[in-house]
Amino acid sequence: MTHLTRRGFVGTAALLAAPALIRPAFAADTVKLGCLFSSSGTMANLEGRLNHVVRMAADEINGRGGVNGRQIEVLTSDPASDWPLYAQVGRQMLQQEKVAALFGCWTSVSRKSVLPVVEQNDGLLFYPLHFEGDENSKNVVYVNSPPASSVLPAVDYLMGPDGVGAKRFFMIGSDYVWPRTINKQLKGYWKSKGIPESAWREEYVPFGFSNFQTLVNQVRSFASQPGGQAIVVLTVVGSSIPDFLREFANQGISATDVPILGLDMVEADLEGLDTGKLVGHLNCWAYLQAAKGERNRKFLADWAAYVKAKNVPFSADTVIDPMVSAYDSVNLWALAAAKAGSFAVPEVRKAFAGLSFDDPSGYTLTMTGENNYVSRGVFIGSVNEKRGFDVLWQSPNAPAPVPFSPYG
Amino acid sequence: MVEPLRALLALCCLALLTAPAAAAPLDRARFAADLCGDGAAQVRGAEGLVQAGGDLPADDLTFAGRLLGALAERRLSCPADGALLLDRPGAPEGHDALTGAVRPAPEARAPVLGLRQRAVIETARGAVALLTGPDPAARAAGLAVVERRIATVPAALLDRARDAETDAGLKATIAGLAQATALSSPDPARRRAAIAAVAASPSGTAQARLAALKGDPAYAADPAFRAALDAGLAKVSRAVAIGDGLAVVYNGLSFASILFMAAAGLAIIFGLMGVINLAQGEFIMLGAYATYGVQEAFRRFAPGLLDLYLFAAIPVAFGAVALVGITVEALILRHLYRRPLMSLLATWAVSLFLVNLVRVTVGTQNLQFVMPAYVSGGVPLYADFVMTWNRLFAIGFAVATLVLTLLILRRTPLGLDIRAVTQNRDMAACLGLPTRRIDRLAFGLGSGLAGLAGVALCPIYSVNPGMGAGFIVDSFMVVVLGGVGSLLGTLVAALGVGGANVLIEPISGAVAAKVIVLVGIILFLQRRPEGLFAVRRRR
Repeated sequence: MTHLTRRGFVGTAALLAAPALIRPAFAADTVKLGCLFSSSGTMANLEGRLNHVVRMAADEINGRGGVNGRQIEVLTSDPASDWPLYAQVGRQMLQQEKVAALFGCWTSVSRKSVLPVVEQNDGLLFYPLHFEGDENSKNVVYVNSPPASSVLPAVDYLMGPDGVGAKRFFMIGSDYVWPRTINKQLKGYWKSKGIPESAWREEYVPFGFSNFQTLVNQVRSFASQPGGQAIVVLTVVGSSIPDFLREFANQGISATDVPILGLDMVEADLEGLDTGKLVGHLNCWAYLQAAKGERNRKFLADWAAYVKAKNVPFSADTVIDPMVSAYDSVNLWALAAAKAGSFAVPEVRKAFAGLSFDDPSGYTLTMTGENNYVSRGVFIGSVNEKRGFDVLWQSPNAPAPVPFSPYG
Repeated sequence: MVEPLRALLALCCLALLTAPAAAAPLDRARFAADLCGDGAAQVRGAEGLVQAGGDLPADDLTFAGRLLGALAERRLSCPADGALLLDRPGAPEGHDALTGAVRPAPEARAPVLGLRQRAVIETARGAVALLTGPDPAARAAGLAVVERRIATVPAALLDRARDAETDAGLKATIAGLAQATALSSPDPARRRAAIAAVAASPSGTAQARLAALKGDPAYAADPAFRAALDAGLAKVSRAVAIGDGLAVVYNGLSFASILFMAAAGLAIIFGLMGVINLAQGEFIMLGAYATYGVQEAFRRFAPGLLDLYLFAAIPVAFGAVALVGITVEALILRHLYRRPLMSLLATWAVSLFLVNLVRVTVGTQNLQFVMPAYVSGGVPLYADFVMTWNRLFAIGFAVATLVLTLLILRRTPLGLDIRAVTQNRDMAACLGLPTRRIDRLAFGLGSGLAGLAGVALCPIYSVNPGMGAGFIVDSFMVVVLGGVGSLLGTLVAALGVGGANVLIEPISGAVAAKVIVLVGIILFLQRRPEGLFAVRRRR
């Protein structure tokens, strides 16, 4: 103990924290955009991709001459999947680096931690994930869908005649705000449909949980009880998703017995899994890689080329919804800034009203002056043998977003 | 749309009424058109086939099976001029479903199956396999599929399968299943037989089916029925309870084996040198990456033996990670032996370095492992208890590791040295033992054990650079609870923690289970700070 003086400890700690949290791309007469996506910790495999997409979108815009005559400079950071660190890095970006807008967060808990920072500094955060809704800050642009235009259509599909006529629901989630709020809203929704409380069960696991044997056993016995077809509504995040799917398949339960609706499940979660026994499980997003259309084909090709050219350490042929949403975010910001003729947040915010952008999903994204939500299309995907999703159903148009759920 | 539907209905009724002795052929064009149609049409086609399956000619069934298989595997293309069977999804040409002629496949709709359609089509495929499968294994596989949705399968189909079956064992299984379908038959004797048949293969589903019969009027009116049902239900309930008990034991064992593997190396390192090795989780991760390396080498040089890569990875992962451990010891830790907190920080730095090294060189994505048959899927053993192969692999692996480590510690000169140094370092040094060299070898052994844990975890968990972080807290818990430096203590502690987690989880949820176990350990250590099994030593 004698060797560990207080000064020595502080010194060591400072040394460990020394690598700069923020890395600029280049410096010139530019406008800065900041990224808050982790490249270490549990979320690294998913969030890490978004840094590169933001850079790719900025490169494209710079190639067209930039915004308001200025080139875009992208600052990336690594909040290390540590939720309070998102707020710290976000504050640094807004106050010291004077970024024009932030793009960031995957989990709702990280968004909630950044929220007071962007509100105090009147910054602008573009949030590319579908989420639990029930929030409407003038400093956050909710680029992806609230539950009313993502989760509810998917649950409706499963309850309907085209799905499995689901009557009973087993909810499994990671223990934090997004799963809990989603499940609360779902329960309210089912109540409004006259489904009794005995028809559902709710279980939560810690972040990074991987030992799903007991829960899968419980799902099996829940499904065998009378009362109609059971489904699993899965809101676990990160590495828990593949671990749950693996155990589910190994115990011999197929999608036609008990389908899983994986609300945070993306193509990247199926990497490393044998999906032959998982065929038919569902997810729902505002974009799927299998979306038809020329714009998607071009985006996929652009991403593959970008990965090759910049030696990006992620798969060239996996594109997930949040990547496209991050790409949309940069483009929406650029359109708004160009329309406002300024980078000042109040001006840019005013320019959101009436904005529209044709994104790779094939839908036209629109924004209104009413709130900072974006209208997106809805896809329901079905796992296929090739570790991807087939489009099972998609909405005829992009429904108007409903920020506050009437069911929770 | 209404006219043909009505006609079809009429035809069905007619078919049911007249019960044709001669096989009525399948309307192949119509069947193909149905499978190419919308969801409702697909369901109609497949359900129609199952309903008529009892008396369709064999070649019609083969034809239908080919189409259903193509549809399920996305090899069915539906251009305007009739369904095409492709050799692989997206192939440029295919065989006409009806004539077999080769035609180019224009980019046409290849239907994606919804869940409802998938279930019906699976059943139809199962029925075809049951009736036309070339060997008993194929027919048994078909039967297993049909059994999942037995309520939608007509008795005639099972009767036909039973009559045609040549394999005696399979014939009996089909007969039992056929009997079980008569649960709502008007004949009381057949009903009682059906109850007995359902009770013969107990499961949660069987329990629910029988329990539903308690509301049947016959339950109150017919004492024989009542007795049969009560007996059947009691039998099923008992079996399900036993099956659930077995599942709890198995889950506990498998979780304990994972904990033990993660903690075994740590027990040796911590026990011998007092070094808190925070990089142990990352050593596990390196073991998993070494396994991946072996798999890729097999894929490249010996693709025929690919299924055996997990076994070949055992020495490689052990050696590679032991080497990393020895390097870390030689470069960093040996300078810090008298400063435990510094060595703790240093190993933490090593763990960060290793995580980022792997992230930069390999990437953050989950690695793709080939899962040989012996570590994928599971076998239903009793009632609802499914024994999954990957967990069994981990349990076996943990037992082998335990035996080997005990042998090394108890039966080899190195083990003798390690035990001597653990018990009294100074005395061992006085007697001429090279304690520094032994430290290094023991650190290598401990690291190598972490490498082995990496091999065993490949079939269970996702392998990515961050996978090690989750193990370090759990393994320290186990080591400290078991008593520092005692391998047997580690084993008992792993079994205790694993079992406690599995027992508490169904009652209070996974989050609370972790908390309760942790509080329990803290309370225990308050009473007994040296852990379960303390090694006597002199300092």
